[in-house]
Amino acid sequence: MYEIWLALNIVYEIALGLWPALLILLFVWLAVLVANRKGLASVSLTRLLAIAVVVAIAAGLALPTLTLSSFGNFGYWVDWANWLAMAAGAGVVAAVWVWPLMARRSR
Amino acid sequence: MAPLPELNRRRWLLGTAGAGAVAALSATASPAAQAARLKTQARIVVAGSGLGGLAVATRLTKLLDGARITIVDKKQEHNYQPGYTLVATGVWPVSKVRDRNADLQPSGVEWIQEMVAEFDPAGNAVVTSSGQRVPYDYLVVATGTHQDWGLIEGMDVAAIGQNGLASVYPSPEAAVATWQAMDAFRQKGGNAVMTLPATPIKCAGAPLKMTFMLRDRLAQAGTLDKSKVTFYSAVGNVFGIKPVNDNVVGRWKDLGIGIEYTQKLQAVDIGGRKATFVSPEGTTTEVPYDFLHVAPPMRAPDAVKNSDLAWKEGGFAAGGWLEVDKDTLQHRRYKNVFGIGDINGTPRGKTAATVKKAAPLVAQHLVDVIAGREPGQKFDGYTSCPLIVREGAAMLIEFDYEGKLTPSLPMIEPLQESYFAWLMKYAMLKPAYMAVLKGRV
Repeated sequence: MYEIWLALNIVYEIALGLWPALLILLFVWLAVLVANRKGLASVSLTRLLAIAVVVAIAAGLALPTLTLSSFGNFGYWVDWANWLAMAAGAGVVAAVWVWPLMARRSR
Repeated sequence: MAPLPELNRRRWLLGTAGAGAVAALSATASPAAQAARLKTQARIVVAGSGLGGLAVATRLTKLLDGARITIVDKKQEHNYQPGYTLVATGVWPVSKVRDRNADLQPSGVEWIQEMVAEFDPAGNAVVTSSGQRVPYDYLVVATGTHQDWGLIEGMDVAAIGQNGLASVYPSPEAAVATWQAMDAFRQKGGNAVMTLPATPIKCAGAPLKMTFMLRDRLAQAGTLDKSKVTFYSAVGNVFGIKPVNDNVVGRWKDLGIGIEYTQKLQAVDIGGRKATFVSPEGTTTEVPYDFLHVAPPMRAPDAVKNSDLAWKEGGFAAGGWLEVDKDTLQHRRYKNVFGIGDINGTPRGKTAATVKKAAPLVAQHLVDVIAGREPGQKFDGYTSCPLIVREGAAMLIEFDYEGKLTPSLPMIEPLQESYFAWLMKYAMLKPAYMAVLKGRV
């Protein structure tokens, strides 16, 4: 429980440092979501999954370099598990973000 | 010194909104803490506004209703000291370790912007540098350490960055200057001398991290074959936890880093680039260097050391460290006094991680004493050290008073170098530090 609470606080503090960009992205997403709410259900889940996978792969490849490390520094399964979780998280966030945009295209 | 960023209104608004959400979660997570808010008129003085002082003060504002809490510290800049090694090795910009202290003061707390010059525990008061006497009912000592540079003959902190002289410890500016010296050194290579003093020091892993990173920077620059790196320890090991010590010694053997034991840095000839070491038998050895990293001896600040709050006998008396019970962090003789952070005369624990674990306990114990209860929790001496072994990899070492390795998560292998531990050091520990400072974790 404590570790989960700590992780939530870490995410919050990181977001606090990025808030202008996050706020703009959130507002754009909300505006597009509201504007295209009728088309949301028609978006292909397969396409959303494909986007999630592509973004996850790109994020996974970039993460070590972005944090001044490399795959050569991955020491044991904990590294791979965390890396997979972060890459998958980036993919899911990307898919959720483009979902209303794709709804607009499919109208 | 570059100006510090001002807290603008928008940042404040978002921070307030976000903090509200986190606070709501916090209330859900710990309803007992909310329910236990104690009404009191107590006057509480917190001496020092580093991580320990601010974390305890913030928690006290949440636990107490009506208390008059005063922080005494003239420091205008708050430094994230665990980040100094990253600045000093060229990983982070210095801006990441500098914040305005005014932005971090808990609301509802008075801030006297002076240093404590004298502690008068018998009179329940502290005296500030201007002579102002500040009475208290309860005192939290969070003054941190004093770096005893004067014990190294010829040493001049202002000269760090020049003539191959380096030290990560004094300040953010020294960390920047240390990276300049390291960067210049790695271009050509040469003889590097790294030191460890005999006294307790804050972040005892820092000299090891600097050694690992220097070796890595030499390898990156292609000058490792022209270089020699030697670690001079004033004691019989390089780290106080045996399994960690053995692991590091083994790694250094493989990396070609030499170790000299029981060699205390006695003097530095900065212009001549010579360091003089002394053995316990009194034999001196002069060592020429191209790069010298100095970890200074440390003790309690004079105000604590010269007061009745300091240990009077035993191993902590020489350094004048605060005489606290290691289990409760309550002063052993003055029961209305508690200690937090580096000032404590306890077996281990001069790191931010120690404060993370100790601050909730100290705040709760102080509340217990105000309420007439005995402090009921027991501190295990938790300390953590994300020990960088090269750029991109580290070991996440956690241990307690007894030197037992105590990983927070069962899957973490403390002596296994990993990207995960590096990622924590590089990107996650400062956010965690800020959450501790704000009294949330």
